[in-house]
Amino acid sequence: MSGNGDVVLIKDGKRLDGRGFEELRDIKMEVSVLERAAGSAYVEWGKNKVMVGVYGPRELHPKFLQDPTKAMLRCVYNLAPFSVDERKKPGPDRRSVEISKVTSEALSSVVMLERFPNTVIDVFIEILQADAGTRCVGLTAASLALADAGIPMKDLVSACSAGKVDGQVVVDLMKEEDNFGECDLPMAIIPKKGEIVLLQMDGKLSRDEFKEAYKLAYDGCMKVYDLQRKTLMESMKKFVGEGGIENGD
Amino acid sequence: MEIEGYLKKDYITNLVNESKREDGRKFDEHRKIIIDNGYVKDKAPGSCFVQLGKTKVLAGISIDVGEPFPDRPNDGVMSTSTEFRPMASPRFESGPPNEDSIEVARVIDRGIREAGAIDTKKLLIEDNLVWIVFIDIHILDHDGNLIDAGGIAAMSALLNTRLPKYEDGKIIYGEYSGKLPIARVPIPCTTAKIGKALLVDPSLNEEYAMDARLTVSTTENINAMQKGGTGSFNEEEIMACVDAAFEKGNQIRKMLSTD
Amino acid sequence: MLNIKDRDLVVPGDLIGNEIVPDMNCYMEGGNVYSAVEGLVRVDGRKIKVVPSSGGYIPKREDVVIGVIMDVLTGKWLVDINSPYICAMSGEEVSRDAAKTDLSRYYKVGDIITAKIGSVNEVYSCQLMKPWKIESGLIIDVNPKRVPRVVGKQKSMLNMIREKTGSRVIVGQNGKIWIKDGNVDLAVNTIKKIEKYAQTQGLTDQIAEYLDKESR
Repeated sequence: MSGNGDVVLIKDGKRLDGRGFEELRDIKMEVSVLERAAGSAYVEWGKNKVMVGVYGPRELHPKFLQDPTKAMLRCVYNLAPFSVDERKKPGPDRRSVEISKVTSEALSSVVMLERFPNTVIDVFIEILQADAGTRCVGLTAASLALADAGIPMKDLVSACSAGKVDGQVVVDLMKEEDNFGECDLPMAIIPKKGEIVLLQMDGKLSRDEFKEAYKLAYDGCMKVYDLQRKTLMESMKKFVGEGGIENGD
Repeated sequence: MEIEGYLKKDYITNLVNESKREDGRKFDEHRKIIIDNGYVKDKAPGSCFVQLGKTKVLAGISIDVGEPFPDRPNDGVMSTSTEFRPMASPRFESGPPNEDSIEVARVIDRGIREAGAIDTKKLLIEDNLVWIVFIDIHILDHDGNLIDAGGIAAMSALLNTRLPKYEDGKIIYGEYSGKLPIARVPIPCTTAKIGKALLVDPSLNEEYAMDARLTVSTTENINAMQKGGTGSFNEEEIMACVDAAFEKGNQIRKMLSTD
Repeated sequence: MLNIKDRDLVVPGDLIGNEIVPDMNCYMEGGNVYSAVEGLVRVDGRKIKVVPSSGGYIPKREDVVIGVIMDVLTGKWLVDINSPYICAMSGEEVSRDAAKTDLSRYYKVGDIITAKIGSVNEVYSCQLMKPWKIESGLIIDVNPKRVPRVVGKQKSMLNMIREKTGSRVIVGQNGKIWIKDGNVDLAVNTIKKIEKYAQTQGLTDQIAEYLDKESR
């Protein structure tokens, strides 16, 4: 977040990639993309490419970590070495540890952990290609993968960021906007209740600008939710025989 | 959570339902803050020992010289880390930082960095050589709200940090050449949510009982925010936390002085 | 009052209605019933359940399962039944003097057995009984939540498969199905088809058609 005055991020009322201030990048979602995982999802969001695999509930080792009242939710966010411009050394760095933590906390608000005592639910978020907003993409995909695994949840979790570039509050920052803009505000909601389960911010916002950015991020989250629902509904088509039972299948 | 956590949770929640806090505070009140600058001033260019209620933290500032980041050739460098020392809590173990320790460090760092608290443009020594500022926060006694305690200690230490003398390509330890340039003073303020109640500056027992917390770091603007915990907030609650942060930030900022 | 109708598809968090009784895979909050999983809503009077599209296996009393011997201990075996929960089988199932018997003479590590779940405790640890060793044949994996459709009402689907393929089929509720003899390929393909299209209306008839065609 440098607020670098040299880079122009908004020209003639449009952003660098031609988007309007309230426009999200193109998003594609798919579930059940992995064979071995209990549930999985793949999301392309702008130039982000993120895959999530969920395992569990499964036995938790070592035993002393087991909780007889509920399952443990273990989330690992990982940036692939080739996902960013300059190669990132494999292994968790401090940023990944923090993102794993806030992602896990957001998901824990909806996953019905009490139904699976003594077990662990593992959520593996792999960022294959990164272009700003990866934690929002990861969390959105993780929510889909958990639903795909049939793990009971109170609601989905939908995420989207907002920010400020060239003094203008906008939704869904892309990489240049994240690097040279004045604020980054990732958010995630539980759509049914309309409450916030992930909220971070860094940069500079007045109280009023914060309210504006909040609203843009929130509305963005609802748009993401719509797409998540459509994706899950689509994935259940064969389950109910829409389109008939094909031959040679 | 250990047994003690479960017991305290019910006790605290019951108190909150009666609009009370364990130590008698109002919901929007901080614990007593004691700020002791220059606590280890014989070696560290800057330091500050803070007591926030019974939480005790010691922030030490170390200064080095080195290369700037390639994309910011004229800016000094700052780095923040925290150590959850084992003596601070029966639950802290020796070893590399865990996710809680990393989160505290990074949230405190963002509050200071995003506000531009350190005037990094004034840290350029010569071409390709800048001052590097290390903020190390030692948690010595954990009774809740390590982010606020650490953030206040770090900021107070920075306000009272002297830059070492740099001569002939060497740092002369023990001799100083002026103060670390500070442009503004961000203060973090953490609010815990227990049921529908919002409590500023949660104690450890209140942290056991809380559903979620929101840290807001402010100057005259908001510079950093971090929601923690597995609960959720609605918009009204978030704005209440923001307003409390501005108010508390202003109050606490007045307590920080430069000697 | 219902917000949806019978056989609607739902995702976690979808409002199903109020003044109804949540039966399976849904939950109640503030008087309303919501879905907890992605799946198909089935309305049975005032009882609502959501048939999940997928999910793991949680041990249930009386279920027939297929498992693998994981460990031989004094007086009992530990069995892997493809569940996060350990299953034990008492040595008493084969010998009256179980504690003094070398149980690996009966079942050793790696052996595959089918057995019935006798009891399940509150953290889902279970005891198996009436074991039977499985040797040869083929075991396939099926999503545990879709297995009931392979069996069908009063075993109608399963009997149809057995009849048309001539195969021996044992269905483990834990998502493992054993097939031996007869037209094994057809049995496997049929089961996979049922799994894929599990909640299609009129599935039994469509599968009957498929079996007829393929077994000619």
